[in-house]
Amino acid sequence: MLNYTLRRLMAVIPTILILIVFCFFLMRLAPGGPFTSERPLPPAVMKNVLERYGLDEPLYVQLWTYLKNIILHFDFGPSFSQKDRTVNDLIAQGFPVTLTYGFFSALFVLALGVPLGVIAALRHNSFWDYVMTGLAIFSQIFPNFVLAPIMVLLFTLSWGLLPGGGWNGGQWPYVIMPAVALGTSYMASVARLTRGSLLETLSAGYIRTARAKGLPERTVLIRHALKPALLPVISYMGPVFVYMITGSVFIDIFFSTGGIGQNFIDAAYTRDYAVILGLAILYSVLTFALLLIVDLIYAWIDPKIRSGL
Amino acid sequence: MRAKKIMSSPEFAQAAAEEMINSRSFWADARIRFFKNKMAVISVTLLFGLVLFASFGQFFAQWSYEEIDWSVLGRVKEAGGPSLENGHYFGVDELGRDLYARVVQGSRVSLLVGFLAAIIAVCIGATMGAIAGYYGGRTDQIIVGALNITLSIPYIIFFVVWQAFFGRSLMQMILVMVIINWTAGLLIVRGQVQTLKNKEFVDAARMLGMSDAKIIFKHILPNMLWVIVIYMSISIPEMIMYESLVSFLGVGIQEPNTSWGALISEGAKTMTFGTLWQLLYPAAFFVIAQVSLYYIGDGLRDALDPKERS
Amino acid sequence: MTLLSVQDLSIRFRTPDGYVHAVNNVSFDIEEGEKLAVVGESGSGKSQIALAILGLLANNAEASGRILYKGQNLLDLPRREMNKIRAKEISIIFQDPMSSLNPYMTVERQLNEILELHEGLRGRAARSRVLEVMEAVQIPDAKNRLKSYPHEFSGGMRQRIVIAMALLCRPKLILADEPTTALDVTVQAQIMHLLEDIQKEYGSSIMLITHDLGVVAGFCNETLVLYGGRVMERAGTAAIFAAPAHPYTRGLMRAVPNIHDPSATLQSIPGQPPNQTRPLVHCPFAGRCGDSLEACFDILPELSPAPHQRACIRAVEELT
Ligand SMILES: Nc1ncnc2c1ncn2[C@@H]1O[C@H](COP(=O)(O)OP(=O)(O)O)[C@@H](O)[C@H]1O
Ligand SMILES: [Mg+2]
Repeated sequence: MLNYTLRRLMAVIPTILILIVFCFFLMRLAPGGPFTSERPLPPAVMKNVLERYGLDEPLYVQLWTYLKNIILHFDFGPSFSQKDRTVNDLIAQGFPVTLTYGFFSALFVLALGVPLGVIAALRHNSFWDYVMTGLAIFSQIFPNFVLAPIMVLLFTLSWGLLPGGGWNGGQWPYVIMPAVALGTSYMASVARLTRGSLLETLSAGYIRTARAKGLPERTVLIRHALKPALLPVISYMGPVFVYMITGSVFIDIFFSTGGIGQNFIDAAYTRDYAVILGLAILYSVLTFALLLIVDLIYAWIDPKIRSGL
Repeated sequence: MRAKKIMSSPEFAQAAAEEMINSRSFWADARIRFFKNKMAVISVTLLFGLVLFASFGQFFAQWSYEEIDWSVLGRVKEAGGPSLENGHYFGVDELGRDLYARVVQGSRVSLLVGFLAAIIAVCIGATMGAIAGYYGGRTDQIIVGALNITLSIPYIIFFVVWQAFFGRSLMQMILVMVIINWTAGLLIVRGQVQTLKNKEFVDAARMLGMSDAKIIFKHILPNMLWVIVIYMSISIPEMIMYESLVSFLGVGIQEPNTSWGALISEGAKTMTFGTLWQLLYPAAFFVIAQVSLYYIGDGLRDALDPKERS
Repeated sequence: MTLLSVQDLSIRFRTPDGYVHAVNNVSFDIEEGEKLAVVGESGSGKSQIALAILGLLANNAEASGRILYKGQNLLDLPRREMNKIRAKEISIIFQDPMSSLNPYMTVERQLNEILELHEGLRGRAARSRVLEVMEAVQIPDAKNRLKSYPHEFSGGMRQRIVIAMALLCRPKLILADEPTTALDVTVQAQIMHLLEDIQKEYGSSIMLITHDLGVVAGFCNETLVLYGGRVMERAGTAAIFAAPAHPYTRGLMRAVPNIHDPSATLQSIPGQPPNQTRPLVHCPFAGRCGDSLEACFDILPELSPAPHQRACIRAVEELT
């Protein structure tokens, strides 16, 4: 297990390095830059600016400095567009916000999706199955960027129950809507997946064996069926996390939470290389970390994989 | 021995391949099953309506989608609502532009991007899947590795970075979406090909000295047509959603051109001002498209997927 | 002493295309210590009878008739009461050892939970009991393999574990549903020997479901022949092999390849399995029977009285 973890980590680090190098060159080679605007700067000023950000040096030197600073000092350099701010500042400010509602959103996805799916599977072909079909369609047609405005329309503008944006230090009324809007469609997918997977598991031979042992149905479900039924759900959480990271960019913008998504899009507008690159790296590391965690949990639960590691 | 001989005869190969490819009853049965599905039929009608709307809707518009109606500008809330009298059937947007014309234009862009990106992506995915499944070994490893990397990229991040540096034309957008989604249907085609490639008619074709490319494109992929169709039906709404999300974030389609996502975004920004129609019209079109594509996909799956049948 | 009495058992399944009548008015008894073989081609309803005894039928099943065990009708027993009988008094060995063990649980836990449930045994007491049974089913190095998962065992070993599970509480009746079908021929023989030894030692009754007549001949003292969910013939195994008295049984015998006579060809019974979507109104075998008369398509023959029971309107002497 430990071996496997290390091996996976060893594979992730080069991938991220390659990604950094790739993004780095992609950005430097792209036409235009942060300091090209409609009104060109006077050459002297331009030279000054380039020097200040180290952009006058050869590319490979720039890359080397960049990498060195990240690895040795965890320093992503200064922002190009926001004076006197470093990328680290922006991340330190925005990332905890994104992480907070992201965590609650994931919690919401699992804590509601799994039980819903289980109920639907146990009450197969009943009212709950309609609920499930409804949820499936709902999640298809109300992705987070349609759901969020509708939620604001209802909960803020019509009923005045929840604030329609802002963060306010992460007080819970401010966390609810971002978390729910981000998670709802994945919650529905998780519920549907749980339902299907549990139904399949319940028809497995070993469940019949468990019943033939004389175990009460609740024990059959909890002891024998739940774990295998949840395995597909766990592996689905990998892509869900990737989607949620994506979705957080939208949530940050729509709810003005002050999360990193806002910085990311702003940086894209202003071509602030340093910020884009820094955040892209952060998003990638986060993605790989979450995928790795999902894989490890899966491997840990499934004895067939565990013993093969 | 006799079996071998029959199998290697050109007639056999021809017959076997034709049977699998044209298997008339398969597609005919599927069609019957599909048209028995009421929701699917309604959805096809709706979608057809949307396509007509996107194609010919502008002939009924009183304004172009870029034109500003100065007479309502500044009092959009009072005078900009949907009305038949001034020709703004869906009202006007915040800048006084005709929302009907803009929704027509937005439908065009969204449908075009969604369909093109999905079709291209699934074709690439299916071909890659067929290659991976057919050759196996190294080739397979490389393709599956690339798939895993692609799946672990948060697509918005990629999208934003790409658009930020290569501009935001429609072509670029389709290109990025294809890059993000080139894996659609790959795994299932790969799995199917792995089983198919050992079937007699492929053996026969190989014995006849057909090239690999010819076997893949003439004998294997046609048998996978149903997978491809299903995956397209799943990918189209997904692509429409990507496009809308990106446009919503303001890094997609550029003004004055527009799309459903961009329109929904504008509507959402202004809904606090009481101009709800700006949100509801585009959202309704988006929702209708997604619902009907959902049911079409569902119907196709039921009609085509052998696992779902029986 | 009669241990279990199946009376007029019918099982049908609700499906989108109407009912499937899998078992039709089947009656038979199992005596204490008896080894009863239930034979018939696949789809003849053998497994459903076994499942019905333990109340394990699928959700879409409807069973009627009676299954009497110790004076109670198992078909009416509430789940709570049925749970006390399962594994403790009547246990079952399923056909496929690959799917009948939980892949996510150690073998020890899967065995232990039976003891804990029915006998309140835990810890060391449970372990020694488990080891005892695992040794009885001849699992080598059992002690060190308790913490293993099913996928770490071969098919034959897994089936031994499944058998151990069925033996754990020394049940009165063991339902063995094709216990060797999924295994290699050599392993099949070992498992059958094992079952035989254990049956002798424990004195349990066995209902052995199989379509392998060779197994029947060597192992069971009574044989019941099923076709289309209906009993065709029932008698002592020796009597049935010496003088099969039903055209279907005769067909089955002919279908067995004879190892002593290489020139004898394997004959399969021509024709389609019976249509189960309608209730039976005539002999289900009539359509495939070489000896059928017109009357066979009108009458549903009843089982003749013991000892050699048969359900055929034609006299034994007239059969080909
Ligand atoms: N859940 C079910 N729904 C419908 N039909 C079923 C179901 N389970 C079993 N059957 C039918 O019951 C018949 C008898 O099955 P079974 O007892 O398993 O046969 P076998 O003699 O091979 O063990 C089969 O024709 C099968 O199709
Ligand atoms: Mg069976």
